[in-house]
Amino acid sequence: MQSNLVNFIQVLRSHEVRVSPAETLDAVEVATTLGYADRGLLRDGLAMTLAKTPEEEAIFMLCFDRYFQQSLADFSASAEQGSTAEEANTSPAENAAQQAQDFAATQIAALQLAAEDNPNLKSLLETPLMQSLLSNERNELTLAINQAAEQVGLQEIKMFTQKGQFTRRILDAMGEDQIRNTVIALEQAASPALPVLQRYRDTLREQVRDYVEREHLLRAEGKTRQFMDEILSKTRLNNIEHIYLHKVHELIRKMAKKLATRHSRKRKLLKRGRLDMPKTLRKGIPHDGVMFNTYWRQTRKEKPQILAVCDVSGSVAAYAKFLLLFLYSLQDILPKVRSFAFSSHLGEVSAYFDDHPVEKAIELVNWKYGGATDYGNSLLDFAKLALDDINSNTTVIILGDARNNNGDPKLEIMQNIYQRARQVIWLNPESRRAWGSGDSEMLRYQSACHFSAECNNLKQLERIVDQILKSSR
Amino acid sequence: MHTQDFPQLASVEAIEQGFESYGYICSRKIATAVFLAFQLRKPVLVEGPPGVGKTELAKTLAQLLDTPLIRLQCYEGLDEAKALYEWKYGKQLLYTQILKEKLGDLLQGAQSLADSVAKLHQFGDIFYSEEFLEPRPLLKAMQQEKGAVLLIDEVDKSDYEFESLLLEILSDYQISIPEIGTVKALSTPMVFLTSNNTRDISDALKRRCLHLYIPFPTVELEERIVLSRVPDVDDQLRQQLVGFVHSLRQLDLKKAPAISETIDWARSLLLLHAQHLEEEMVRSTLNVLLKYEEDIEATHAQLRTLLKDSATDNSQAP
Repeated sequence: MQSNLVNFIQVLRSHEVRVSPAETLDAVEVATTLGYADRGLLRDGLAMTLAKTPEEEAIFMLCFDRYFQQSLADFSASAEQGSTAEEANTSPAENAAQQAQDFAATQIAALQLAAEDNPNLKSLLETPLMQSLLSNERNELTLAINQAAEQVGLQEIKMFTQKGQFTRRILDAMGEDQIRNTVIALEQAASPALPVLQRYRDTLREQVRDYVEREHLLRAEGKTRQFMDEILSKTRLNNIEHIYLHKVHELIRKMAKKLATRHSRKRKLLKRGRLDMPKTLRKGIPHDGVMFNTYWRQTRKEKPQILAVCDVSGSVAAYAKFLLLFLYSLQDILPKVRSFAFSSHLGEVSAYFDDHPVEKAIELVNWKYGGATDYGNSLLDFAKLALDDINSNTTVIILGDARNNNGDPKLEIMQNIYQRARQVIWLNPESRRAWGSGDSEMLRYQSACHFSAECNNLKQLERIVDQILKSSR
Repeated sequence: MHTQDFPQLASVEAIEQGFESYGYICSRKIATAVFLAFQLRKPVLVEGPPGVGKTELAKTLAQLLDTPLIRLQCYEGLDEAKALYEWKYGKQLLYTQILKEKLGDLLQGAQSLADSVAKLHQFGDIFYSEEFLEPRPLLKAMQQEKGAVLLIDEVDKSDYEFESLLLEILSDYQISIPEIGTVKALSTPMVFLTSNNTRDISDALKRRCLHLYIPFPTVELEERIVLSRVPDVDDQLRQQLVGFVHSLRQLDLKKAPAISETIDWARSLLLLHAQHLEEEMVRSTLNVLLKYEEDIEATHAQLRTLLKDSATDNSQAP
């Protein structure tokens, strides 16, 4: 049972419930304290040690039910259905069970009868597999399936497309081919036992298929998800298909949280300033002037301000969305994010983010400001709105492809911003090689930036935001 | 704490009954958590929406075990001087002054400086000793001989640093005081931490605890709770009001009414001599259940359908 528990914890881990070895030990201890008799009690007890959030608890409950309910269905049930259907009138349950038994007995008899003039069938009936099928020994059959599954390495299953393949392999490993051959032989001989044997074969196949299905759900779901996260974070953001968007949101949240914990700590440390001598003296008076406690000045630190300026025209909109999502997911450590959106003209969109959840706000922004780009005009608007607020604590992040449709780039405004701000960062979704080609003003704008980077997938985005956080305090 | 000392905690059923006798109706899950916490000597991290009885759980357990309840309310800026221990500065100061006066007598006969230092060393170092130690809740809980229930309330309100402070206490039940050494708990206290999920608790802390999530109760459980807390409310009204509260929780509210609000409401209806739920009465007492103006307004609009629903639900029930 203990190895079973450890296996179960493996399954939990593949479903992104983080379980440490110490927790595994706790779980074993819980299981021994509570015993295995009361399923509900055991489930609650294990949930308390293994699942640490309500979400994890939900996953836990699902996995627990799937994992510990692996008893196979009663084979005679299918036979029973067949017999009752034939009789076409509903009989009471016990009656049906009796009939099913009779039915199974007659089937076995029919098989044995046929076996007398068919050596193939005769030897088949003597195999342990067929024996357990005939006598409805579910435990033995489960065991056989388990062994076969281990033999063919079912725990390696990753994709749902592998399901059929694994089913086949398990059946082969169990010696189903013998049944198959016999069925063919019976078919040629037109034996009356054929449908009986076929039914047994179908039952077996169904059981194995179910088993593989369950194992896939248990083990592979988690792996596929990890795989997918990995891929998604490296895909160009505008190539991500719509159905995966919610996954990306989750991913961004996760990344943002990681960054948030990393950077919020530092801030606390920096808070303590120099020794506050007057206060230390004053507070020491009750103790006869002995300075027991020291008091420290708080360093007054201007909170960093971030101005995010995003191009939301068709070509760049997708990237803007992710940058904004990222920045607003970091609200805990970046308290003052102001955002601006532009294509032909520019406006401040911070209010949308105050009033709506982030995803909704981004939609609204796209809808309001989308269009053809005019960087010159937009920079003018930006200067009017925010230039006076830019000071040495301000980080300006501009996201855009710098393709100005051959208009006036208004470089002098960029230079003005560059001189005032603590840093100006330009994120360009185009690859570095394309900068400056055609109507791109990137090379010129780059001269007025502290830092410019190519940014078109989540990994890059994470790295850049990390850098912003490091330098903006 | 040993099993023979507390037969009240011998089994999950015994805990359920024990809690019930003190008017706390708990689900099986809660009883299991208490049982495991006691058997495995692990703290319990209790999470759930406000008002579902997280704090009450610890209080009731203290009553049940007849041990003191030591409570530490967490808030931002809580530090070890307020949570663990503090030195009694005033007394320490007096001590040094006494020492200064006596110093001449003590060092009589000492010829050289080295001699007097050696003499000084012969005295016990009581300046930093337990005599001058002012225990704060956490240390106090360790010092209880017959065990205690330690309630660390709203741990999510404290800073991250404070959490790391708790780690030693929660895993080994001991406190390190640099000047003295480690102080071990005389008997393992039952520790409950509550959290309202205003921020995530660190993994290190979570790992050391059993995790108990108390959701809003089921209808049956809540009826039993109301019955035990407000026994004078008659059956029909109780069913109706619990049904109504449950349908309220289905709505999209800023703050859904919790058990404590249900109990308050039952009490107020009792005071008003209500026999069954009437629209007017519900309308005027809604502020007991809902704490936000916008919630109350949203509910006013749907009040009639809600009442109808909870009435039909209950006409089928008996």
